[in-house]
Amino acid sequence: MATEALLEVRGLSKRFGDRVGRDPSPWVIQDLSFVVNEGEFLTIIGPSGSGKTTLLNMLAQIDTASGGEIRFQSQVAPIRDPKSLKPGLACKIGYVTQEDNLLPWRTTLQNVLFPLTVQRRLNDETRARAQMLIHAVGLAGFEQHYPHELSGGMRKRASLIRTLVYDPPVILMDEPFGALDAQTRTQLQEDLLRLWNLGRKTIVFVTHDIAEAIALGDRTLVLSRSPASIAGEHCNPIPRPRDIRGIMIHPEFGALYHRIRVQVQ
Amino acid sequence: MVVMLAIWQGLSAAFGTYWIGSPWGVAARLASGVVSGETLRHASYTLLEATAGFLIGGLPAAALPFALRRLPIVTAILDPFMVAGYGAPKLALAPLFILWFGIGIESKIALVAITVFFIVYFSALAGVRALDSRLVQMAQVMGADERDLARHIVFPGAVPYIFAGFRIAMPYSIGGAVIAELISANRGLGYLVQLGAMNFDTTAVFVALAATICIVFLGNWSVNAVERRLLRWRPRPGLDVQGGS
Repeated sequence: MATEALLEVRGLSKRFGDRVGRDPSPWVIQDLSFVVNEGEFLTIIGPSGSGKTTLLNMLAQIDTASGGEIRFQSQVAPIRDPKSLKPGLACKIGYVTQEDNLLPWRTTLQNVLFPLTVQRRLNDETRARAQMLIHAVGLAGFEQHYPHELSGGMRKRASLIRTLVYDPPVILMDEPFGALDAQTRTQLQEDLLRLWNLGRKTIVFVTHDIAEAIALGDRTLVLSRSPASIAGEHCNPIPRPRDIRGIMIHPEFGALYHRIRVQVQ
Repeated sequence: MVVMLAIWQGLSAAFGTYWIGSPWGVAARLASGVVSGETLRHASYTLLEATAGFLIGGLPAAALPFALRRLPIVTAILDPFMVAGYGAPKLALAPLFILWFGIGIESKIALVAITVFFIVYFSALAGVRALDSRLVQMAQVMGADERDLARHIVFPGAVPYIFAGFRIAMPYSIGGAVIAELISANRGLGYLVQLGAMNFDTTAVFVALAATICIVFLGNWSVNAVERRLLRWRPRPGLDVQGGS
């Protein structure tokens, strides 16, 4: 890859409870290093409980690392100092969490417009973009519905475009399609790739599903069991645009799946 | 309803209307009191006390936990006083308030306000504490500042709790006003109760109680109407689609 590293993680480690009066618990992440290149779709795969969410929380600066370094562009994230955290780094890092975290008192449209509202960027142009995204993921007609009136898949879509709408340069995704049925999940993966093709954001996508990691990513990192570190790195030779539904019969798929499979324990 | 009325009528017939006013007699007296404006005048006086006290006590109580959200030390210092105020029998405060504020409407409003204040304060505090930290983190990542958090996350999340407090406090506000009038007043439904008792006129006492209950229904209806408007986003019980929060 000739492109420049946008996000760099070096020797990162984390354990919880490193606070006065509490015994530190075992390491969740130890000596983890990787880089994320500009415009890259990176997928990270690891067994459940391997600290994937913890890693993304640290990248999004809603949690601090216990050691090591996280560098975004030229900024270094604070270590063991929760007070100096800058969640989302001034809207440069978007974060689609595992739960949809929609605000229950806002309608679909109001939820999608929420980041623009708090960033004071609500105007005709951004409103039009919100409408475009709502149409693109098939939520048209549900703008005035409250989250409890939507299905799980629709909530996920709303949560996804709520981050896309303000166009952060990097988007972190934490198993966003984990709790969905296979059909809805494939549909959403296709939506995501289509939207990604429009803007070519940098995406860090965490999952425990090997097929999903291959279908979406340019490159896949494998995390080891706790304490997490990088167990393997795989460049994905399958060309884009990809056919998600037919990805399993692509000639490269089987070998890649097998190589990842042996590293995921 | 019909059964209750039948039991009431039966008791009244068994003990005589001297002890228990008959439903028919109460209804007739209530109607004539409303028509002559006499009961209505006393009832509106009580309603005024209750409403004024409810607003003076309830609104600051709802706002205070928001002001204290970022000040955990002040909240902790205030806590024992709040618990004491919540636990203190409000009836025992009535003579004190009469000393301080006189026998006019002010002492009644003060008693209602103090009763309502502590109930609403603890409900609003529970609402602020029940804040979902994941929603806060999500909003921060999207660039929300403290003011945005208070306005878009903390407040809407606490509204159901505040209304639970209002709903509980509402009958207390009317009860508080009536009790304050019982102690010393020359107007209001509490005064009517007192007057009826002094004249051994149980029907008059029942009329005053019936009027009080009517006001409670009216108050309950108002709280429900405002709450329904503010909580349109909540799944309606029984029509729950997703079982969401």
